[in-house]
Amino acid sequence: MFVEQIVVALISVFVFPGLIFTAALAFFTQYLIRKLSARFQRRMGPSYVGPFGVLQPFYDFLKLLRAKELVRTRFSMVRVAEVSLVIGIAFLIAALTFLPISIFRLQSELDVFVFFYMASVIPFIVKVIASIAMPGPYTSIGVSRMLSMATITEPAFFASIVIPVYLASKQGNVPFMSLSSYANVAKLWTNPVTAIVLLLNLIAYMVSLQAKAMYQPFNIPEAEQEIIAGFETEFSGPLLALAKLFHDIEVSVSLLLGVYVFLGGPLPFNHLSVEGVAIMIIKYLALVTIITFIKNIMGRYRIDQALLQVFKYSLVPAIIGAIVAMIV
Amino acid sequence: MASLYEVIIMGIVSIVRVEPWLAATIASGIAIGVSAVLMTLYYSLKTKTSRVTDVYLSGEPENVVSMIMPSIAALYWGFIKRFAKSLYKALIDKVHTGSLHDWYKFISSWFALLILLAVIALVLAFVGW
Repeated sequence: MFVEQIVVALISVFVFPGLIFTAALAFFTQYLIRKLSARFQRRMGPSYVGPFGVLQPFYDFLKLLRAKELVRTRFSMVRVAEVSLVIGIAFLIAALTFLPISIFRLQSELDVFVFFYMASVIPFIVKVIASIAMPGPYTSIGVSRMLSMATITEPAFFASIVIPVYLASKQGNVPFMSLSSYANVAKLWTNPVTAIVLLLNLIAYMVSLQAKAMYQPFNIPEAEQEIIAGFETEFSGPLLALAKLFHDIEVSVSLLLGVYVFLGGPLPFNHLSVEGVAIMIIKYLALVTIITFIKNIMGRYRIDQALLQVFKYSLVPAIIGAIVAMIV
Repeated sequence: MASLYEVIIMGIVSIVRVEPWLAATIASGIAIGVSAVLMTLYYSLKTKTSRVTDVYLSGEPENVVSMIMPSIAALYWGFIKRFAKSLYKALIDKVHTGSLHDWYKFISSWFALLILLAVIALVLAFVGW
């Protein structure tokens, strides 16, 4: 039995929903965002590599990894940057073991906190370390902006996730504040009071996710053209490939989290049915479409504006949601 | 009745309910394992070519940031531009307007004042004050 569990854990960590699946999902998410953005701007978007250009992100990754040279200065600490990003990806993949999509699932009380540390706090720290390991004037500006944004974005993201999990786990059948409580989300949406809390937190989640992913209007840390590429200006070749993969995996894991916490995962079906899988894909695509839509209709905020907007539309709704959740 | 797909998946899925500290430990262990595999993959697949360049400082050479502290001139202009804005504005508006006439007016007014002070000092010196 123990050996079987080890085998299942290995399959879960390295195949589904681990390394291979998550990387594929990240590439597909990047493809969708690029293709949809292109259609918003009356362009074709990725079209030539694979059917409908779906393999373009993977091809770009391979090209950066295998063909492009790594440009560095005498102050660069390439190994530190590489190891940091690899650790970030590994923690994101390991965090998936707490999500109900995993075939080897860890379940415990308060596991949402462990998940948050592994999928949000640690990736943020490694991103900062990787950036300052490749120093440059634009990198410094980008990192300082990223740190400023994190002071509001991370608490807002945390609150927006924790409150629905708290309410759902209160409904019973699961450990307290466990991500396995997704099955009770439907009950929350049918109750008018908890539905308001969920809606407020969904808004907070979408805004903070937009800021975490550094998509418009919150792309001030990378502020293309203004500060070259901000925190990732000095990344090139294989290191840039790693950084892009890391970013896409972070976005994909955060979206999967949203699918479970707010939309109930495969509900009203279960994971094992074709309908359940189909509805999960639809929910995931809906979230991708929303973030791409916001990305394409908005311009870039200045750092002070961005901080204010994340505060107003993410932290404040999350705090109101928390107060209402405490009352009910 | 469960389909073949469901039977296979139900047989595979493994849920481990543990204490929070153990969950965090197991997940961290998994992360370390994945890191090791990823690092092996990354270093075996990545290109080995790299190039060393100067730091990109908008076209400036590296020696512009080589000093331990900013130069005296940079400190002076930093002070004038940041903390003595009104003085800096006056200089820009009255002297460095681009018109030689404005510059002459400004300099001659100061020059006249200096001459006046010199004459007063001379007179005072003569009268023995």
